Amino acid sequence: MIPRNLFSTRTISKDFVEQIFSLASKIESNPDQFADKCKGKILATLFFEPSTRTRLSFESAMLRLGGQILGFTNAKVSSAVKGESIADTLRMINHYSHIAVIRHYIEGIGEIANKFASIPVISGGTGSQEHPTQALLDLYSIKKEFKGIENLSIGVMGDLLYGRTIPSLLFALAKYDNIDLHLIAPPALKLRKNVALRLKENGFKFNTEENLKDILPDLDVLYMTRIQKERFPDPVDYERLKGVYQISTDDIKNAKDRFIILHPLPRVDEIDYAIDKTKHSRYFEQALNGVWIRMALLLKYLGLD
Amino acid sequence: MSESNDKLIVTKIKDGTVIDRIPPGKALKILEILGIDSNYPYTVAIALRVASRKMKLKDFVKIRGKALTTQDTQKLSFIAPTATVNIIVDYKVQEKQYLKIPEHVEDFVDCINPNCVSNAHEPIVSSFDVVSKDPLILRCVYCDRLLDQKYLNRKL
Repeated sequence: MIPRNLFSTRTISKDFVEQIFSLASKIESNPDQFADKCKGKILATLFFEPSTRTRLSFESAMLRLGGQILGFTNAKVSSAVKGESIADTLRMINHYSHIAVIRHYIEGIGEIANKFASIPVISGGTGSQEHPTQALLDLYSIKKEFKGIENLSIGVMGDLLYGRTIPSLLFALAKYDNIDLHLIAPPALKLRKNVALRLKENGFKFNTEENLKDILPDLDVLYMTRIQKERFPDPVDYERLKGVYQISTDDIKNAKDRFIILHPLPRVDEIDYAIDKTKHSRYFEQALNGVWIRMALLLKYLGLD
Repeated sequence: MSESNDKLIVTKIKDGTVIDRIPPGKALKILEILGIDSNYPYTVAIALRVASRKMKLKDFVKIRGKALTTQDTQKLSFIAPTATVNIIVDYKVQEKQYLKIPEHVEDFVDCINPNCVSNAHEPIVSSFDVVSKDPLILRCVYCDRLLDQKYLNRKL
């Protein structure tokens, strides 16, 4: 069953995830076949926080499907500055578009969409809570590389506290069996308790580490994240923690041959530019996969698949 | 109120609520939760750390002219889960309620997360599922964040 809106990877089924991957794969192999699928449909992009990849890839996805887009990329040009609620914004968008993507610093707005939106609403990231479409493209990237997601050793490193891609990635991975998961973060940036509790309730086990060095030779995938400067309540804490994890070509010299590095981007200094040229980097291909996944999501949620 | 030997005798109230078997030291917090302060117009008796057969020590309060709402008893269950609530009508116990921690509460306390939509200006009320009763842990239905006993003691 398709959920009405998409705000979390926790509440969607593995079957649904696989359907999205299968459709994305069909689109990727023959995009022209889908060029008019969304003719006459409008996607609203409501971005109350900055975005490059998520907004552009959603817009690119809709344009490639023959649809149209409207929206704003800055909350300052919306009525939010006049104090308009998210509920009222969604009530308006119901009349202006057929589907919407929303990014907001406020968390928990999925429930607002469930109550007040009559069109499908997809999250483009909510605060540090979740970023479900990023997780879907992350897993799609892994699946393409390894022909599956099960039986892999995956390291997730960086800002596990504030990075919104992390909960979505972990909830999505928890749907698959036999994943050897390592969470690598300093104590100050470890996984939020609520996310850890959800994983525990799901019976999904993981190891926590502070150093990459010891486990690197076992990893198939290393998922790096940026330290989320904008989410730190105290800038002093950011200054203390920035640059805590940086990897260079030296750090990955003992990696498996098939080892890959993913990153939701943007990166700051956590991955040295020299790694871009190695056979292990996949973050730019990962970003392209976002277009196929978002095309698949638009088709699925509009009932046009 | 009088004390003979080691037995504390407190005058009965005609109509109102007696909250008994309160964990020692929590009675004042309970009055605060119920919004009873020095401006309350009727009789209120408070006993702190009195001997109890079942609890060794307990607090109790007798409040004339007060009926508790469902939300009041839910809040009490989080602060004083062992307490009993006796509804008094014409000096007699008309009903005795044993507190039970609910599975879900609404419009009860603010979410701990300042960026939670329930703390924003939206047409919704705060909403929590109880994920653990001992230790007490609530989970926000909106942002998924956890509220623990320490936070509830401070905020209720």
